[in-house]
Parts: sequence; structure tokens; C-alpha cells
Amino acid sequence: MFFSSPKMLMTGTAIVGLCALMAREAKAELAACPASIPLGLTTPLTGNLALLGTQARNGAEFAVDEINAAGGIGGKKLALTTEDTGASSTDALNAMNRVLDSKPLVIMGSMISPHVFAQNDAVAKSETPFVVGATNAKVTSQGNKWLFRTHVHDGQLAELIPEYLVKTLNKSKPGIMAVADDYGLGASKGIQAALTELKVSPVAVTSYAPSDKDMSAQLLEMKDKGADSLILFGRPADITLVLKQMGDLGIKLPVIGNTSIVAQTTLNNLSAAEADGGYAIGGMIPQTSSDAKIVDWTKRVQAKYKVPADNFTVSYYDSIYLLKSLIEKVGCDKAAIRDGLAATKDWAGMLVSYQADAKGDLAHTLGIYRNKGKTPELVGNIKEKGF
Amino acid sequence: MGQLVVNGLALGSIYALVALGLLLIFNTVQIVNFAQGQLLMLGAFIGISGAVTHELPVAMAWAATMVAMALIGIVFMVLVYFPLRGRPPFLVILTTIAMGIVLENLALIIWGPLPVSLPSPVRGPPLRFAGIVISMHQLFIFATLAVILLLQYLMLTKTRFGILMQATAQDLHTARLVGIPVNRTIAVAFAFGAMLSGVAGLLVAPIFLAEPTMGGSLGLKGFVVSVIGGFGNLPGAVIGGLFLGLIETFGARYISSNFRDAYAFIVMIGVLVAWPRGLFGEKSSEKV
Repeated sequence: MFFSSPKMLMTGTAIVGLCALMAREAKAELAACPASIPLGLTTPLTGNLALLGTQARNGAEFAVDEINAAGGIGGKKLALTTEDTGASSTDALNAMNRVLDSKPLVIMGSMISPHVFAQNDAVAKSETPFVVGATNAKVTSQGNKWLFRTHVHDGQLAELIPEYLVKTLNKSKPGIMAVADDYGLGASKGIQAALTELKVSPVAVTSYAPSDKDMSAQLLEMKDKGADSLILFGRPADITLVLKQMGDLGIKLPVIGNTSIVAQTTLNNLSAAEADGGYAIGGMIPQTSSDAKIVDWTKRVQAKYKVPADNFTVSYYDSIYLLKSLIEKVGCDKAAIRDGLAATKDWAGMLVSYQADAKGDLAHTLGIYRNKGKTPELVGNIKEKGF
Repeated sequence: MGQLVVNGLALGSIYALVALGLLLIFNTVQIVNFAQGQLLMLGAFIGISGAVTHELPVAMAWAATMVAMALIGIVFMVLVYFPLRGRPPFLVILTTIAMGIVLENLALIIWGPLPVSLPSPVRGPPLRFAGIVISMHQLFIFATLAVILLLQYLMLTKTRFGILMQATAQDLHTARLVGIPVNRTIAVAFAFGAMLSGVAGLLVAPIFLAEPTMGGSLGLKGFVVSVIGGFGNLPGAVIGGLFLGLIETFGARYISSNFRDAYAFIVMIGVLVAWPRGLFGEKSSEKV
């Protein structure tokens, strides 16, 4: 017997009635949505950032295809319009203007921060929810109440990487090497500040241009100056070269950095010896999961796109499902979706839960990874303070 | 210090190889091909398709790449050079830049954005002495550069075909009037130029990985070292390449790694101010 007293029966009936009413309201809200719900995506698909952009696009597109194959949202299909930003901020703004012409309900932005900075005003004026993966900590400090981020940012990494290196790996003479663009140099500055807080001075601070292929001079500087570890921030292609060149030069230093160190695209081009022992802290990657559903998902993404899923694939995939859950609740009202994003609490994504803070950051859980040979392993998760 | 010299020379050898392909075309049609770096990228990807995707023996993959690059060079000539022949040179140069962008995007469509590695044709443990490490592949790069420089120099100065190429470069109309098969000569120059880029691509891919945008920077550096060496001068391009490789490597180590790309252009401007024709430019013009 579910109800042992008339009082409980009345309470149960009231709850069921309330749920039915809410479901009816949600259906009414969904009915107001267009037959095809327009979503926009701007991401780099050409130029030297094409790999990251493609991986993000794959995540968003894969989720949209899954949702549409399962009947859409209340019978309404999602229509994703994707525009290529290339590698330049000017092209990113042009791409955003083209997306805005299609009157999207929500826009997914690039994971490249300068692109998002360039696009911010145009999106804010259009009063459209703007969900991005851009990692510069300041992206969500622009005062745009329509902007949300579903990927961890450099501010979080800049604190956690030095802390892990000094307190857990017990290193005190790190060298820093970062790609010389907004991403790498921003992270490098944050890491230097965090090391100062820990009373540790880096023995060398170096960088390389995104198009550089030979980092041997920087690596030899680390060696000459007696570094006991290397903090490395870059993208998979250049991280691969750094790790290969360390192997060629016989430089054996513990390496810690962003998730490019454990990305499948990096590991594919390294030997086990070159990859082994590298640590990374950052967004969640699916390759370390033993959950059968996630293993299967990772295989299906790889089979469909011939490109491994990475942290951005996961983040953009989760973002689409988060939007689905909001549209199911509030329909196609932009302001209501924005409010729903701002009120996100413990929403369970593929690998972590999302929770909005006052700035609009939804991701506060980072993974600590370590390469065992060519296989990345999850050492554990760290949550940002306060979450 | 010694390790920096070895790595600087290896990097400079790559720049020199790109420059040699650039100059082969320039010495025939007086046009700078700014898509030379993208031809290098195509060479790398074609080699990877053969050796990695289709698992051909590396030697066979190299041979297939050479054939493919020769054909690509001829197609490039037909699409870019012939339609604009006789027009102002800057039009052809702009078209080569546009063609470079097309080739990059074409590679992205065909091979995707993933960086890929190519096995080196030479294997074995690196040489080590006095704390300096030289890999077998680096030695192979030095040897290949030396052989190609020698062969190209001999072809241009000692063979009938080389003389025809130089005559075509000097005055295309007169060359035609005296019975030189101008179109065939130009076609061979484009084919060889593309093949040299292909060789550079095959040498670069094992150490720097191949990706669609890899050619832009390398092509530009090839142009810079050609200018430093004295445009048109083969030994000058090689010396310019090795010089730039050393400047970049030592600059990144002892000045700042932030400005590594800037060193190339600072050196180029400095050389042009001191020697307006480049380090060996005048000698070359006297020979022609």
C-alpha cells in the first residue's frame, strides 16, 4: 500500500495533480516553439585552430543528431547552423553576424577566447543566450548576462596546476613553456602568479609561436637552468612536438599542464616512452572512463567523425543536452532559457555535474590525469573552492 | 651550445630545401611561388597516405609522392601560371597566395585537421658525443640537402636543360624564337619545384608532424632565406637557410623565445639594408 492514511492520499493526489499541471504548462510552452528550433554555432573549422573547433562542433552536432533521432524536443527538431570562424577574430565576428541573421534561439560560441571577446557585444545586443567553451578567465567577466561557459577556465587551471606540482609532486624548480597566444600567455601569467603565492620561482619562462615547430632551444634552456619539472601549456599538435623533442634531446623532466598532454590526438603521435608520466589538469576527457555507455559514446564519435572526442567535445555535447532540458521546461523563450542557465544546479552531464555561479560559469570540476605509457588515466577530480 | 648548433642547422636545412624549390621555379619564370609551403604540406600528406594509410614500404611511398608532386606541379602551372602569363607579375604572385589557401582547405577536407606523423626512412639510435645528440633523421636531412644542392647546381649550370631554363628566364619570347621548347621547359621547372617541396615535406613530417596549416610558416621562411641569400642564388639560399636556422635557435635560447619569428624578418631587413641584393645576389646576376 502506497498511502497508509487519508492525509497521505490527499498529499499524493495534490503532488500528482501539480506535476500534471506543470507538464501541461511545459507542453503549452513547447507548442509555442517553431517547428524547427534554430540553434547557432560558431567555431574554427579552418586554419590552425581547426582541430579544436572540429572537436567542439562534433560534440554539438552529435548531440543534436541524437536528440533529433529520438524525436526532437516535444516532436520539434533542432536545426543547428554552423559557421566557421577561421583563426581570426574578425572572421569570428563575421561568422557571428551570419549566425545572428538566422535568428537562433541559442548560440554556441567558440572555445577560442579572442573570438568570444570579439563576438560578445553583437550577441549581447541580440539578447540571445550565448553558451561558450572559451577558456580565458575574463570571458565571463564582461558583464554580459546572456553569456555562459560550460568548460573550465584558465583561472582554475592556473591555480591548481602549480599547487599540484608543488604540494603533491614536490617540485620546486619548474620551468614554464606556453604557446604564445591569448590562451598560453594568459595561463603562463596566472601560473607565475600562483607559483609566487606558493613561494616558488620558475627557473625559466619561455613560449613558442603557434606555428613554431622547433622548441629545442626552449627545452635546452630548461635543462641548462636546472629545471626539475616542466609546466606546459599548448595545443595537441605543439604539445606533441615538445614531448617528442624532449625524448630526442634526452631531457627527462616530469611534465604537467593542460589536457592537451593526455589528449588522444597527442598520444596518437607519441611513443609510450615519450608520453609516459605526463600529468594534466583540466576539462573532462572521455577516454579514461570505464563506464560502458561512455566507452560506447567515445567509439561512436570516433567512428562518425574519424577524430577523437576531447574535453571540448564533451563540453559542447553536454551543453546541447542542458539546453534541451531547459527548452523542455520553459519552451523557446530566450529570457527564460537565460534564467534557466543562470539557475543551473547539479545538472548531471556526461562526466561531471554543472552548477552556475554568479558570473555564468557552469563548470567547476576538473580532472587530474596521468599518462601511463600511451594510456591516459584519471588520477582524480578536483572541485573549485566553494563547489 | 653544440646541441643548439646541430638543431639550428637541421631547422635551417628545412628552410633551405623549401628555398631550393622556390628558386627552381623563380629561375625559370621569374615568379615567386608563395604556395611553395603548401606544396610541401601536400608532399607530406601524400607520403603519409602511402606509408601510413596504405602501409606501403617507405621507399615506395617516397617514390609515389615524387610522381604525384611532379603531376601537381604541372597542374599548378596550368591553373596558376599559364592563364596569367604575360600579365603583371604581382597578379601571378597574388594567385599563388590564393592557391596556397585553396590547397590548405583542400587538405583539410581530404585529410582532416588531425596532426599526423610519418615514419622516417632512416632508423637507428642517435649519435652522441660530448653531450650532443644527433638523430639519424637529422643526418639524413643534412645529406639530402647536400645532394639536392649539388644536383640542382649541376643541372642548372652543366646540362643543356639547365641552360634552356636560364635562357627562358632571361627572355621568354627570344627563347621561343630561337627554338627552345619554352612550355616544356617551364613545365619541367614546375614539376621539379613541386618535387623539391615534396622532398621537404617528407623530411619534415617525421619530426614536425603533418597538418594542413604546416606549410604557411615554412613557405614564408623559405622566401626569407632566398632573399637573404640573394634571390636566384642556390648556394646563397642554402647558406641563408642555415644562417636563419642558427639565428632563430640561438635567439630563442639567449634573447627571447617570444620573438623567434621576428628574428627572420629582422635579419632579412638587416641583410637588405647592408646588401640590397642579398648576401650572394650580385654573383648570381653576373652568371645569368
